Amino acid sequence: MPGALLPRQFQNLEPYIDWTLTKESERRAKRLSSTMEEIQAFYDTIFPQMEAIVAYLDQFPLDQLPEGAQPLYSLTLSLVEVTSAVELYHQPHIIEAIVPARFRRVE
Amino acid sequence: METVTENKRWAKEYPELGTGPVPSESCISPEYFELERERVFRRTWLNVGRVDAIPNPGDYFLRALAVCKTSILVIRGTDGVVRGFHNVCSHRSNKLVWEETGTCRGAFACHFHSWAYNAQGQLTGVPDEDNFHDLKKSELGLTPVTTDIWEGFIFVHLDSDPQEGLVEYLGGVADQLSGGAFHKRTLTHTYKVEENANWKVALDAQNESYHLPFQHRYSFPGMFVLEDNRYLRLSGVKLYNHHAVWSTTYNSESTPTPTGALMNKLNTATTNSRLPMLGDFDFFVIFPNFVILQFRGIEDDHYMTYNFWPLAVDRCIWEINVHFPPAQTAGQKLSQEYLNHRICDVLQEDAVAHETLQIGLTSRAKTHLMLQDDEIQIRQFHKVLEDYMGFFNGRGQ
Repeated sequence: MPGALLPRQFQNLEPYIDWTLTKESERRAKRLSSTMEEIQAFYDTIFPQMEAIVAYLDQFPLDQLPEGAQPLYSLTLSLVEVTSAVELYHQPHIIEAIVPARFRRVE
Repeated sequence: METVTENKRWAKEYPELGTGPVPSESCISPEYFELERERVFRRTWLNVGRVDAIPNPGDYFLRALAVCKTSILVIRGTDGVVRGFHNVCSHRSNKLVWEETGTCRGAFACHFHSWAYNAQGQLTGVPDEDNFHDLKKSELGLTPVTTDIWEGFIFVHLDSDPQEGLVEYLGGVADQLSGGAFHKRTLTHTYKVEENANWKVALDAQNESYHLPFQHRYSFPGMFVLEDNRYLRLSGVKLYNHHAVWSTTYNSESTPTPTGALMNKLNTATTNSRLPMLGDFDFFVIFPNFVILQFRGIEDDHYMTYNFWPLAVDRCIWEINVHFPPAQTAGQKLSQEYLNHRICDVLQEDAVAHETLQIGLTSRAKTHLMLQDDEIQIRQFHKVLEDYMGFFNGRGQ
């Protein structure tokens, strides 16, 4: 285990710590550079815990998340990033879309 | 679930628009594009941003208006007034401000000879001033651009004395949306797509709901056709002097994705923050290149804007700005991010069509657009355009 970055009850998510990305552009790049197996494994692990994770996060004001909650929050944003790949497209990319880099997020 | 079943309803309401094919040469003709610079973009109010971007004295942003061959400095003065100026030094016309956004701390200094201007655009400093002949600094401020604000949206007009004031120009759109609580939402996401498409091709492609079940068959399968195979037609259309709005209802028969259902559960917000909506989804086209999209949400409505910035006859920038009510909880924020993510997938699919349409139009295999009744707003847009261009002669009737 790479160390206790996440609250104890969510430490089963530690193998997915490289999905803790704060920027949308980073999460998009991560999705596009991952295999469907990697995406599916992350989705399958975090999805059943989402209600518990959000209940934990909602104890705190969103702009004052304590240490440990911040990476957990980033993981939930990464679920948002991959959900369409898993539930709709069955591939990391949108099926018929422009090259992702051309849809530029200004951050 | 309500949908319009009467056929060709809008043509009956707006018979003056006719029902025939609409010429598409305006989307591919370089000569037409050159005339649009003068006759459309220098004669209309152009949205350049929102006041939220420059809340404090001295805050500014630059807005490149390639179609008008200029760049506008939009700045809040130390007196709190928002002004627009050409970003051009009075000395020898060098580019004055270089940072896209920032705060003027005292003065801007031109990189060429350090002529200095304050946040009100006044010329305050000239190095070696005594060596100039008859220099009147008070007359050499930055060149102002007509600027006005409606509901926090900043507009400029390249005419120093526009025929219509901003609210008069906005007409029915202002009547519908004024007091709309736009200021209770904040900019959460901005996207820019540089496209190989005429600005009108991109706008027209967004300006209808007929394409939704087909172009978005992957991102929203089954969402836009009802169970008895009726199409989800427009629930409302209002055509104004220069502008238009159309609306749809949501398809309550469609099944949410697992994450969609989850997000509805996670979002426990009780803010009930509403926009003045006509349907569940409203699409306001503010001529020539600005769109306000309003989305009904379970607890909060949100809005987006599009600006289609022409670069050349076959190139434009599609700028997308997303505004949500400030999220109070992680669950609310996640559900906003999820909704935005789904919409962005749709827009990335749309962008494909913008470019393949342009290729097809450029081939001149076809010379006209065939428009159905639920595309009447495209018909109206091209009529307004032709009116500005001085070309409207009843074609399409």
